[in-house]
Amino acid sequence: MASKRFVAKRLLLLVPVLFGVASVVFAILHLAPGDPARVIAGQRASAEQLQQVRRELGLNRPLWIQYLSFLVDAAQFEFGQSYSISRGAPVREVLIDRLPVTLELAIYGQLAGIFIGLPLGIISAVKQDSLTDHLTRVGALTGISVPIFWSGPLLILAFATYLDWFPTSGRIDSTLFLPNTWTLFGTELPLTGMVTVDAVLLGNWQAFTSAVHHLFLPALVIGIYSTALISRMMRSSMLEVVRQDYMRTARAKGQGAKITLMKHGFRNALIPVVTIIGIQFGTLLGGAVLTETVFGINGMGLTIVTAIGALDYPVVQGTVLTFALLFTLVNLFVDITYGYLDPRIQQ
Amino acid sequence: MSTETSQRGVVGRLRASPFLSQLLSNRLAVVGLTIILGMLAVAIYARVTLDPGALASSRLGTEIPDRAPPGWTGPAAFDQHLFGTDSAARDIYKRCLYGAWLALQYGTITVGISTVAGVGLGIIAAYYGDVTDNVVMRTMDVLLAFPPLLLALALVAIFPRELGLWRAVAALTLVYTPRFARVVRGAALKVLEDEYVDATIALGAADPRVLARHVLPNTLAPITVQSTLNFGLAIIDLAALSFLGFGATAGTPSWGLMLSRGVENGLLTGRWWLSFFPGLFLAITVLGFNLLGDGMRDALDPRMREAID
Amino acid sequence: MEATLSAWARPRLWLVGTALLAGVIVGPAAVALLTLYGGGAAFGTRKAFALGALALGFGVIGWSGSIFAGRGIESMQRHLDTGSDWTEADSRRAMGRIAGFGGGMMVGVSVVEPLV
Repeated sequence: MASKRFVAKRLLLLVPVLFGVASVVFAILHLAPGDPARVIAGQRASAEQLQQVRRELGLNRPLWIQYLSFLVDAAQFEFGQSYSISRGAPVREVLIDRLPVTLELAIYGQLAGIFIGLPLGIISAVKQDSLTDHLTRVGALTGISVPIFWSGPLLILAFATYLDWFPTSGRIDSTLFLPNTWTLFGTELPLTGMVTVDAVLLGNWQAFTSAVHHLFLPALVIGIYSTALISRMMRSSMLEVVRQDYMRTARAKGQGAKITLMKHGFRNALIPVVTIIGIQFGTLLGGAVLTETVFGINGMGLTIVTAIGALDYPVVQGTVLTFALLFTLVNLFVDITYGYLDPRIQQ
Repeated sequence: MSTETSQRGVVGRLRASPFLSQLLSNRLAVVGLTIILGMLAVAIYARVTLDPGALASSRLGTEIPDRAPPGWTGPAAFDQHLFGTDSAARDIYKRCLYGAWLALQYGTITVGISTVAGVGLGIIAAYYGDVTDNVVMRTMDVLLAFPPLLLALALVAIFPRELGLWRAVAALTLVYTPRFARVVRGAALKVLEDEYVDATIALGAADPRVLARHVLPNTLAPITVQSTLNFGLAIIDLAALSFLGFGATAGTPSWGLMLSRGVENGLLTGRWWLSFFPGLFLAITVLGFNLLGDGMRDALDPRMREAID
Repeated sequence: MEATLSAWARPRLWLVGTALLAGVIVGPAAVALLTLYGGGAAFGTRKAFALGALALGFGVIGWSGSIFAGRGIESMQRHLDTGSDWTEADSRRAMGRIAGFGGGMMVGVSVVEPLV
């Protein structure tokens, strides 16, 4: 089992990681062309107005003070107000609002990848060069070749616009409203913000079906992508492991080839795959950005794309830092799992 | 030891060209190659016959209808607007053909610059070793740890909007360079381990000559495979950045931008042709590169073939 | 106890320190270059400082990332037999240099900022 010290050490490392990311974000914003004061004050602002906005934003202070105050703010996840969203919405609230949306999408995508992609990859490796293997490989190759921003629109056209089986966008029927809290044994608890989970917590069946109905197509798109990625990795990882010497020895001892494969291969093949799933989570987040743009789902992805386009610096800072935190946490979790699968790395 | 022999084997096989015969016996790789050659022919044809300025400018206000479905779906003449027209009444068929030129052109530039930069960094790191190697390669490792599309999005913000597709090219070059550097460094180290390089250095050959004569040629095989695999990715990522609004400038007949307009104007109204055709071209091209790249990797990597008996 | 501590700290301080010094020197030079070729002193200092922050942040991410995933990557490399000689210690050292250089650049730029 992963020891407490091992986990604590890694949690502590989150601090320098986020400090580093915050510095990079600071750098990107100051390297970017364009003047934040100009964005806020508007194109026709006078020189005095610009100077005024600069003072308000603290852009006239020495750079190292700007940097330090940025770090202090970032540590508190305090990025001020958005330039573009609902006339100065606090960035923190925007993030709290939109993070669960992306998380929900990414989780379903990742689950699809693990529960469909992993078995497909294994079958493909076990039956190498069989018809099943070829079909899986070509399928997976097609899956990573077809861009999300094409498969998404096609699915919407076919199943939403023409057949009208699913809604074209949104997360839940506009007639349904979910409360902000739910009650467990008499205590009020906040909801997760993930509609499918919330509906279950509230025991609201109608909301649940509506949420699943809305989520089906986007989750399918990202699920196909994730399945293709993971099955490819699982297959090659499995083939690598089986090739190794101790597997030959095990087979030479006369055990059935398939039993050997399951016993020795699977656990060892999982080691790189667990690491890869962590790294691949980032690719999945990239997929979520595209999926949200196609389906008009207001999550982190659509938020960052709009913010970069609108030069909405506070929102860009907040989203990038949140993405980094998310990615790091997932890899932290992966690392702990890894320590469990291969106890040798814990020292 | 085993990797060293396999690496030498690779180089040897490429020279004697069973690599090619191995590759050609892979049916999927041949399909991929055919697709790429076909797309290349389309791209050249489009470049020679079509005027990009005309493809970019709006046809609204002329007798050509906007958002007209493909000619063959309705009563209109068969040869009129094979893929229909877009929201500015431009012919989607011609724009798709020209999109092939843009995709291959900018894909080549992206992969080309990343390859050159990666080869340079990788060989320098392998040759000089020590601190140089560490600083260069660890930097590449950190870049590799970032999610590609998210990194590209962050980088795109640094470059001015006026650069258009070049902005996407610049961002993606930084994303891809580390992959080449890593592959090249690995291959170059293997070559440098060989005694004959030591011997040439002992004979007093200058650094650049050793690198150009002995190291570079032996890293060509892995570089080619890596380039092919990344070509598909580059085309899809370039299109993705254009789709998100950080690539091609308005009006450019790039597949990504056409798809973005198709999603805006055609999804709810059922105008499928706006997004179907550009995406089809994109997907087929990317599939072609992925098929060929996969086949090349299998032909190159002997460990894969003997895996399960 | 003290002896072991200084034995632990000295090479690390030396490594980061030399990089820091290099950064302090490069920082103002970058300001000068960017001011001459970029457009104005404000532009020059801002971009040079940002470049320093970029190097610092990058180095710190890499440094913590090396410890974070270090052993995992090392054993994955061995496992996959990629022939890579990646080690956590090398990676940490390289990142310490980059971070030190970036920090030095920020210091250097801050020192000359009131002057330009």
